[in-house]
Amino acid sequence: METRKSSEKFVVPIGPQHPALKEPGHFEFTVDGEIVTGASVRLGYVHRGIEKGAEDRTWTQNIYLLERICGICSHVHATAYVLGVEKLAGVSAPPRAQAIRTVTAELERIHSHLLWLGVAAHEGGFDTLFMYSWRDRETVMDLLELISGNRVHYSTNVLGGVKYDLDTEKMDAIRRGLDFLEERTHHYMKVVTTDETFLARTRGVGLMTREQAEALGAVGPTARASSVRRDIRIDAPYAAYPDFPVKLITDDGGDLLARFVVRLKELFESYRVIRAILDQMPEGELTTRVPRRIPAGEVISRVEAPRGELFYYIKSNGGEKPERIKVRTPSLCNWGTVVSVAVGHKLADMPMLLAGIDPCFSCNDRMVRINRGQGAQFWSWENLRQYGIEYYR
Amino acid sequence: MSSQTALQTAEELLKPYAMEMIKQEEDFRLDVLLSPDQLHEAVKALHDARWGYLSAIAGVDHPAPVIGEDANASGTVQEKGKESQVEVLYVFCQGAAVLVLRLKVPYTHAELPTVCDLIPSATLYERELMEMFGVEIHGTPVKDRLLLPDEWPEGVYPLRKATIIGTTRSGSEE
Amino acid sequence: MTNLKLDSNWQRILDKIRTWARVNSPWAIHFNSGSCNGCDIEILATLTPRYDVERFGIKLQGSPRHADVLICTGPVTLQARDRLIRIYEQMPEPKFVIAVGSCGLSGGVFHGCYNVVGSIDEVLPVNVYIPGCPPRPEAIIYGVVQLLNSLKSGVSKVGTVAELVEKQEA
Ligand code: SF4
Repeated sequence: METRKSSEKFVVPIGPQHPALKEPGHFEFTVDGEIVTGASVRLGYVHRGIEKGAEDRTWTQNIYLLERICGICSHVHATAYVLGVEKLAGVSAPPRAQAIRTVTAELERIHSHLLWLGVAAHEGGFDTLFMYSWRDRETVMDLLELISGNRVHYSTNVLGGVKYDLDTEKMDAIRRGLDFLEERTHHYMKVVTTDETFLARTRGVGLMTREQAEALGAVGPTARASSVRRDIRIDAPYAAYPDFPVKLITDDGGDLLARFVVRLKELFESYRVIRAILDQMPEGELTTRVPRRIPAGEVISRVEAPRGELFYYIKSNGGEKPERIKVRTPSLCNWGTVVSVAVGHKLADMPMLLAGIDPCFSCNDRMVRINRGQGAQFWSWENLRQYGIEYYR
Repeated sequence: MSSQTALQTAEELLKPYAMEMIKQEEDFRLDVLLSPDQLHEAVKALHDARWGYLSAIAGVDHPAPVIGEDANASGTVQEKGKESQVEVLYVFCQGAAVLVLRLKVPYTHAELPTVCDLIPSATLYERELMEMFGVEIHGTPVKDRLLLPDEWPEGVYPLRKATIIGTTRSGSEE
Repeated sequence: MTNLKLDSNWQRILDKIRTWARVNSPWAIHFNSGSCNGCDIEILATLTPRYDVERFGIKLQGSPRHADVLICTGPVTLQARDRLIRIYEQMPEPKFVIAVGSCGLSGGVFHGCYNVVGSIDEVLPVNVYIPGCPPRPEAIIYGVVQLLNSLKSGVSKVGTVAELVEKQEA
């Protein structure tokens, strides 16, 4: 990776190994004293070659491969894929299956947002909030396990429908879980918007105007926190969203605080939608038949993952295996925003800024080295995080 | 702007550049075939009219049919050329409307102009395209490796059909 | 340590103390060599209030130079392989490796993908394998406890200073 080395400028690379989070990626920040003057990104530590691998697996095998692109938003990957393939095959899953897909997707969003809240709080040095939110996250993990039998990678989807049914008992358990979570989310909302020390780290940090967000192609909560009205669940409803519409949540703050608020508000929206679906659960079959060979053609399938718009391009040549699958994950869009928003900020804000977009490396793809002229010094993400926390003491 | 009118606007905007337009009404989708040298102008037209956002750049490999094999297995919208080609899709979205700019570049002239001057976020997509398909993007700001490992051999583009690495393609015994 | 030569009785007592200390508070470092995140969030989950591995003295921390145990997830990608080896080499002896998840054990669903080397034991010597996709946090804790037990009973090789001195003399 190319770096500019001059005597007044330090290059601070972050990555690829870092302990607090989960995945490797690599950034380099050029700093002038405290202020970041440039940023670049190198992915690929978790690049596994899935798109190529998918061309060698059958349509059914691919559900399991693509689901494993990401462990946090696994269900949406599978959903985007099966919706696309179903469209190619000219079938659509029964309403009950669509409803169960949507319930799982929203539960996954809750788990993902709570996970993010914890991680972001941790990056800000607010470990109490991290522990609390992860404790509460276990509630939704239990619910997901109750439905599917696994805490991660639910494998709810099959081509043409879903595998698991929801009975009254399970629905009641979900409702009880949601009641608890809703109460806790009110608490988090209060903490995030009123805690002075936390506000000092979030308010006005990483400001991104609507124009910038649009130009940089931001998606998901990152874009919506800059009042960009973009949500696939509303723009192009899929699965059960046409029958159970969600409300668009935006905020015009554009800073880190707004990103927290948007995500927390989305949680409430998720609770509401899940309850609505559970109350009016359509009756009927769980699956329809899908041929083993998918008719030739191509389809673009877009769904709203917890982090933003997930894009799938699927091309079939009429065989048992796909001809080409292109996956464009939301994190990739949001990288661009960090790289440009970072400029002008203090190095100490970087962990929070990065956490603010909720990056997901395995969806695409961190140790810190400081080049001071000739001598290089290694910084871990932990050091940088610590540096950020100390800086704001 | 409803998705229907959005598509009409796009159609008008791109008329001067398009070689062919294919409309799929029910999906709110418009496919526009372009020649590579028209790409920048077409994107500029969309950009100036603030039409949607660039959602993805996807590459599709079309190797030349091998004699003696069934070459007609694929191809719905496009017919097969004799020469090995990479088809590049620029996907723009606005609401439910999807606009696909399709360009074909032969292996021998796998070159495209950059759109990063208009859409800065395209840089990552362009880098990916360069690595995966070996399409040279002229004028793109950063050309460093994004996804492939540092020691990856030059000139091997994993997503081309002809590239068989590891045990990924069936039939290969490596 | 090289010139340090104690009476063998003393040395044995010292080694006992070291093993005791190690078993009671192993420090771990976590590295993702290409996993999907699933395993990693479950490892992180073991730190949180419901599972709380810290009550066993297990601490997850940042620098490989302070770590006894390397917890590894995911199939090894070409780009991550060298980093993985480097992190392993930076760890002080004795060191142990725990491979977590089907991917780390065999390559899992990613087996055969072009950028994947394969299982972790193709790159590093692995002491404990924890299967599952992803393994439950309980399973991960169980795996770590298994390692600790084997250390206590002496099944796993903990190079003792006594041995080291012997080797040097030989
Ligand atoms: S074993 Fe499963 S959960 Fe773990 S990294 Fe592999 S695919 Fe992901």
